[in-house]
Amino acid sequence: MSAVAHSIDHAGQETSSEVDKAGYLLVAFFAIPFFLFNIMPVLFGFYVAFTRWSIVGSPKWEGLNNFTRAFRDQWVAVAFKNILFYGAIIVPCVTVLGLVFALFVNKRYPLSSLARTLFFAPTVVSATVIGLVWVWLLDTQFGLINHYLSFFGIDNVPWLTSTRWSLVGVSIASIWWDLGLAFVLFLAALQDIPGEINDAAIVDGANRWQRFRYVILPHLRPVISMVVTLQLISTLRIFSQVYVMTNGGPAGSSSSPIHYIYTIAIVRNLFGYASAIAILLFVLILAITFAQRFLLKERGA
Amino acid sequence: MSWLERELEERRLNRLDLLIWPIGIAVAILWALPFVWMVSTSFKFPADVMTQDIEWLPSRVTFDNYIKVFEYPVLRWGVNSLIQAAAATFFCVLFGAMAGYALARMNFPGRNLLFVIFLASLMIPVEVSVIPLLLAFVKIGWASSYQALILPAIGNVFSVYIFRQFFLNFPAELEDAAKMDGAGPFNLFFRIALPLARAPAIAASVIIFTLNWNSFLWPLLVTFDESMKTLPVGVAAFTPVVGSRTQIEGYSVAMAAVTILSIPSLLLFCFLQRYFIQGISQGSVKQ
Repeated sequence: MSAVAHSIDHAGQETSSEVDKAGYLLVAFFAIPFFLFNIMPVLFGFYVAFTRWSIVGSPKWEGLNNFTRAFRDQWVAVAFKNILFYGAIIVPCVTVLGLVFALFVNKRYPLSSLARTLFFAPTVVSATVIGLVWVWLLDTQFGLINHYLSFFGIDNVPWLTSTRWSLVGVSIASIWWDLGLAFVLFLAALQDIPGEINDAAIVDGANRWQRFRYVILPHLRPVISMVVTLQLISTLRIFSQVYVMTNGGPAGSSSSPIHYIYTIAIVRNLFGYASAIAILLFVLILAITFAQRFLLKERGA
Repeated sequence: MSWLERELEERRLNRLDLLIWPIGIAVAILWALPFVWMVSTSFKFPADVMTQDIEWLPSRVTFDNYIKVFEYPVLRWGVNSLIQAAAATFFCVLFGAMAGYALARMNFPGRNLLFVIFLASLMIPVEVSVIPLLLAFVKIGWASSYQALILPAIGNVFSVYIFRQFFLNFPAELEDAAKMDGAGPFNLFFRIALPLARAPAIAASVIIFTLNWNSFLWPLLVTFDESMKTLPVGVAAFTPVVGSRTQIEGYSVAMAAVTILSIPSLLLFCFLQRYFIQGISQGSVKQ
């Protein structure tokens, strides 16, 4: 018996060290559409960004003009400034609330699986649903939010129709939409913490705060870093809810780079210029990704 | 020991939890209220919507809003969305499984490089590629077509990643036995490996289907004809800022439209929640 098993093992090893050309074929089905429709357009975009190109007609080489133009364009500045504000509102709220909700659900309370479903549910619906539901909830005159705020003596807030509040209004909807992902990632990490560690801390007389501070939080550090990065990147790419809720307005006060790119390409038919702004955004996102990797490594060392 | 203390002990809770629990549950319910308000508004008469009287349960109910929604080509948009999401998901999951299997179990030069390229591509935001992609599709005459909606959605690396993880821990004995019977790699994949990969297949399918069903920017860009729009893009025109349908029809019709739009993803989520959560935490935590 053992001899047979041994020979099978041996055979397995031998075949696995041979080059398996069929592997290329199996990968090709995925790799071909991936390279054609996901990678090539990025490379093509680097070319388009140096041209003036519209839907009709042929490209005209422009050199760096599109980039210098972007640096002078006040609406580019507004859009990039807006995503800083979006990030400053959305990222901390999603991270902190996501963690708090995960800590709650992780406890074996009655109905905690219902709570889990409810916390995650908004994440699975489309931006159109999020946008329209919140346009209605944040309606200045008849919206539910202002109705309940009036109980606290707060006058109608023009959430989506004033330059002062539009960014906040869109952020509220985004937090509701995005929180589910952070929540699930935190929950998975919490469930990875061995129960014995927590039990040992209890035996040692650690109170709730101390257990959170010295047992749970250190364990969560990599996940927190990941959630912050993912959320930051997804906030830099904010578009759909902006499009549905305010269309970037009023007066560009809630616009974002992608929204501006959309306007430039579709409304003004300047594909080269739109691609150039997209590359600037890409560079920003890459910088943040590498900064996060670097910081995480520094801390780990 | 009182009944309460025994119960608390059993669940490893203390008295502070008696305070935390009701607050947490209240917040969870609060979190779902926008959905309740959406559905509730969708059954109201327009006259009962724009008013200061808040009725969580409408005192009189109408289905007119839903009938009004169908005066727009919602059915067509729904069919488009279904074709797009189903086809993209099918190809993405099947091809992803094949690639994930090959990357995990087969030995060929460039295997690791390919996987690194797949992972590195996650750092490229799709938004960078949509404008040049649109230009290319317009130039070859593929704008407003099903292939334009489906093809760019196939190369979702998430699917490869999930299957590669799964097949890395796949018992070699099963393969070896089939190999001894002279099964080729395709046979091995379709007859032995794929049937056993049910769990990652469901997880990848529900997540990728939902992503596609909800996808917004690309369908918005590439569908010029009203008849080729997907449901999220078509319904988005009910927003007061982009279209003018809400000004004409009021919020009750808009809420009926988004209720229809959210039903498939919410249903899928309710029944397959476990797979959503597993898939997402597997797909990102171990990156």
